[in-house]
Amino acid sequence: MAALTPYTYIQCPCADPSTLGHPSGPNAPTDTDADEDDRTFDPRAPRSNYSLYPLEYLLYCEDCHQIRCPRCIAEEIVTYYCPNCLFEVPSSNLRSEGNRCTRNCFQCPICIGPLAITSLETKPNPGLLAASDNTAAPHHGPYALTCSYCHWSSTEVGIKLDKPNNVHAQLARLQNGGATRLTGKERKERRADPSKAQDADGRRRGASRDGQDLDLETQFTNLKTFYQSQLADPESSDSGLAPLGDLGYSSPTSLSRIMHLYTGGGRQDKKAKSRVGAMREALGSGEGLQLAHLDESAAIAALQAAGHDGTASTTQLLEQPPHLGAAHPHGSARLAASLRPIPYLLRTKRSKRCPLCRHIISKPEAKIQTTRFRIRLVAGTYIPSLAIRALSLSSGNPPGPAAAAAAGGLLDPLKPAHFLLTFKNPLFDPIKVTLGAPAATPGRFASRVTVLCPAFEVDANTDVWDEALKDGGGGERDKERGGRERRRRKGEDGGGSGGGGGGGGGQNQLEVGKIWERGRNWVSIVVEVVPASLQAPVGGGQPGLLQEDEDVLEIPMFVRVEWEAEAGGDEVGAVVSRDREAKEKRELAYWCVLGLGRIRQS
Amino acid sequence: MSTPAGSALPHRSVANIRSPSGTGRHHHHSGSSTPNRSVASNLGSPSSLRADEEIIIIEFGTRRLQVGYPNDPAPRGCVWFAPEQQRRVGDFRQWQSGYRHEWRSAAAGGRWGRDHELWQYDVREVDLGLVGDKIERALREAFTKYMLIDSRPRRMVWVIPSSLPIPLLSAALDSVFSRFQPPTVSLLSSPLAVAVGAGVRTALVVDLGWRETAVTSIYEYREVDSSRSIRGGRMLVEQTHNSLAKHLPGSQRGSNSDNPDATHEYAISFEECSDIATRMVWCKPRQRPATATAPQLSDDGLATVLEQDEAEARDLPPTEAAGTVTIPLKSCSPPNSLELPFDALTEPCENAFFDTQYSPSSFDDHELPLHLLVYRSLLHLPLDVRALCMSRIIFTGGCANVLGLRGRIFDEVSHLVQEQGWDPVRGKGVGQLRANPKLKRRGARQAAEGPTGVAAQPDGGEEQDGVWHDSADTTPEVDLIEEQLKRGADKGARVHGELRAVESLGAWSGASLITHLKTPAIATIDREIWLQHGAAGASKAADVDHKNDKPQRQSLGSGGLMRGAAAASAWTLGVWGAN
Repeated sequence: MAALTPYTYIQCPCADPSTLGHPSGPNAPTDTDADEDDRTFDPRAPRSNYSLYPLEYLLYCEDCHQIRCPRCIAEEIVTYYCPNCLFEVPSSNLRSEGNRCTRNCFQCPICIGPLAITSLETKPNPGLLAASDNTAAPHHGPYALTCSYCHWSSTEVGIKLDKPNNVHAQLARLQNGGATRLTGKERKERRADPSKAQDADGRRRGASRDGQDLDLETQFTNLKTFYQSQLADPESSDSGLAPLGDLGYSSPTSLSRIMHLYTGGGRQDKKAKSRVGAMREALGSGEGLQLAHLDESAAIAALQAAGHDGTASTTQLLEQPPHLGAAHPHGSARLAASLRPIPYLLRTKRSKRCPLCRHIISKPEAKIQTTRFRIRLVAGTYIPSLAIRALSLSSGNPPGPAAAAAAGGLLDPLKPAHFLLTFKNPLFDPIKVTLGAPAATPGRFASRVTVLCPAFEVDANTDVWDEALKDGGGGERDKERGGRERRRRKGEDGGGSGGGGGGGGGQNQLEVGKIWERGRNWVSIVVEVVPASLQAPVGGGQPGLLQEDEDVLEIPMFVRVEWEAEAGGDEVGAVVSRDREAKEKRELAYWCVLGLGRIRQS
Repeated sequence: MSTPAGSALPHRSVANIRSPSGTGRHHHHSGSSTPNRSVASNLGSPSSLRADEEIIIIEFGTRRLQVGYPNDPAPRGCVWFAPEQQRRVGDFRQWQSGYRHEWRSAAAGGRWGRDHELWQYDVREVDLGLVGDKIERALREAFTKYMLIDSRPRRMVWVIPSSLPIPLLSAALDSVFSRFQPPTVSLLSSPLAVAVGAGVRTALVVDLGWRETAVTSIYEYREVDSSRSIRGGRMLVEQTHNSLAKHLPGSQRGSNSDNPDATHEYAISFEECSDIATRMVWCKPRQRPATATAPQLSDDGLATVLEQDEAEARDLPPTEAAGTVTIPLKSCSPPNSLELPFDALTEPCENAFFDTQYSPSSFDDHELPLHLLVYRSLLHLPLDVRALCMSRIIFTGGCANVLGLRGRIFDEVSHLVQEQGWDPVRGKGVGQLRANPKLKRRGARQAAEGPTGVAAQPDGGEEQDGVWHDSADTTPEVDLIEEQLKRGADKGARVHGELRAVESLGAWSGASLITHLKTPAIATIDREIWLQHGAAGASKAADVDHKNDKPQRQSLGSGGLMRGAAAASAWTLGVWGAN
């Protein structure tokens, strides 16, 4: 089992269960409210996976002074673009053309690498390269889409293209194997032209008799026109409006609404029924009725011939967009020969707003090629960051193995280990931090946790140069901070990872209620944990098989940050004001989860 | 666009929002006021007006959800529920080299494959909040990745299975209403949408789903009957596992794999079994030629016939399937490549769906083999409904993709019909009755004395099921038919009385058609009313509504959702009244 880098997750306060609608359990809402304060957040509960975020994913609303996670944010779309060709797509195209790039951008159906358009005819002769360039020789003949990563080629599924451009439209007209089909637009044109339409209809009907199926798109349009014609049937129009048109708010025939109100449900139903009775079902393939062909022996034979390697894996099938140009594939879509190149999904750039005050929290540059943001209020500049480091003490234990274990390896069960938590204050005001952690971690294996210094103050994030100019070394810093609590240890900055064998001597006594180390805008405190034994679950009994990550020692910790900022001012970083009254007390509180390391499974 | 923001918020948190932005706001628990995105409708009115017209159609399944716009033939995107999706944000371990899903620990305690499901219908052990979270995350992914939409509130149409329990529906509505703030959510039942997607008004929808197979009879766009069997995709994957594990070298499973309940240890991961089940598993066509009609009349005889069938089936393979398939397995230890005869890949399908080696009487009601399930649900139907339904059988659901399965069920059912007719009564007594002309005459008279005259119409076989014509709700349907016949709209045009399978575009596409045509949904739930009353308010309204509305409007037969649907429609009417 690999070791684990210590990590921190923060629970967005929006994830409070009381906000999620009505508690559907037996306990009344008042009960949960009462329990809420005592409730310890359990990072292992399956639901907490949905509310925990690394600090980097969180944003912060300056006006509401609240953390905003991706769940509690309102998004607006700035641009739509293709991630492959970086062309912007107008939003009007999205509804009509779909959510995929309609240019020449395709992904390999096997490995999702980008596909390139190559000519099949050219036999690249290096000697003749210049000459062929002149004569434009490589620019004719059939083309294929090829993947440069896994060497898949669209010829494997029988697709060859006539032109190297407008590939999307060409592919829409091609079936796997090379047969052509009518696209929706062409069909519409045919329908508009009656002479052609009859011809096409006749052919289609004949075809479907032969067992050739309607493709999905055609079936859908046929069904739609059929239903529309049925609904527009003059015989059925006596009911006036769609009964109970709760989706049809767009037809505000309020008079008949009122009529419905007064006449009650009965008459409405009669109308609905008479209307329903007037509509018949689809009868032929022209109306969208498609008989199923249940004989799949051909597909089974193909499956047998293809074997396991000739079928597409589940992930490959999931990547495939629905192919509307073919009949309902049922099982035969599983063959690798039925895979098609995947047009790239479009992406969006989004600006984010606070859902409460509507202030913009994040706004990217509209230009697609840039990755810059105009506005981006990341939470890391508003709430203290938390770094975890293993701390090796040469107390009691023989220094060697313990230090190694704490530094990079696994935590020994039932042996105390120490970790250094470093809070760094990004604000320009000093903050007061109060920590709360349960004495034993929740879950099956309860490790003992002691936060040695649960309340402390972190200095403001003053100008870096102030310190850098004064900071000749660790010693000066100490002197400068003379009034405050002194650094407890010197020269042990890398202590944990360095293994600091015998360093410190008598100095490194852990004292309850004392800060371990402090700097310009950071404070380190020590947390002592006694990892639980993975052999002894809390309730007794056999430990059984461990769940995934159940051996990770995770501490839920409630962090409460208080500071005084200038009242009313949006800039938290304003200079210290003259007046006490102008100051405003602010407070932020949230749960976070500290992942310290894996416990050794003996 | 002057909707007051406060009214749209959950009532408990209004105080928090109204409080000045003082210290109280920053307390952790007052942060509970977050889901108030409804204010979005206050700003940017023109665009939000347009967004209001957009409707999103969502089809919920046990393993995936599909989203898209109305008037599209296919959904824009499809999100499958998977354990990787349930990790914390920023947990990228699945991309690390050498990452392997620790399926063994995930499968501990009978959870094999449960991570891939959104919910279990047995709500006693379901964490409803977790269901809401899963739905939220999947929807967010679908909206961001496939729909490319922002977070303005949009109306939604949900396509949900008609047997969805109310607690699950309620959890889903809670989550979506508070996180996505749609003004309304309309509910459509998926069998109905499947029927619309096939262009028929009456159908027998055989939904070969993941958790169970549901056979729903739709008559004139109403669900009239529904029966279910646990033989679905999950069972298929489990059987795939069992038969693969049996072939694993050095496994002791070979001895006890006949009773899979005995061991709950899994040798191969769910993902791999599921993959193989979708890739390689196929279904044998019905093997037996129509033989031996003589002994069918007795129960014992029937059983022996089926035994013969199995023996024949075992004899036949060498002639047909000689090829072998190599299946690489990675999740078993050590990784292995299995060399299987191609024919062995039909075994999971046989065991999961048919179990022909057992006699029909040995199955419980919840585990009927599929052909019996289809046959019996047809048998349950009134005569006229059955005549129409049997020629509009629609196979849908994920397991319809098993090659040959649809054809097999169809053949088995037609064989059963041939063999037994439409006679629900079987056994020695009936055999004697048939053999003895005197008794038979008396029986026929009894049947003729039945309360309804409908059974007098001869259709495919003898009709003796007086039970079903007694039920009150058949009467309006008969009226409807008569009315329709009077109108003469399509006299004689409807195919009936012959077994026939029809292709459907699927539930999602059907819902897309329904929504595009602005046909009313079964139920529409208004966000604010839901947030005020929740499911409790619904059931109250349903009681009121039940008497005067349901028999006429809904007529949806039995099942959990039907109550919910009726309840929800009561709300809709309430809103209408308020308007």
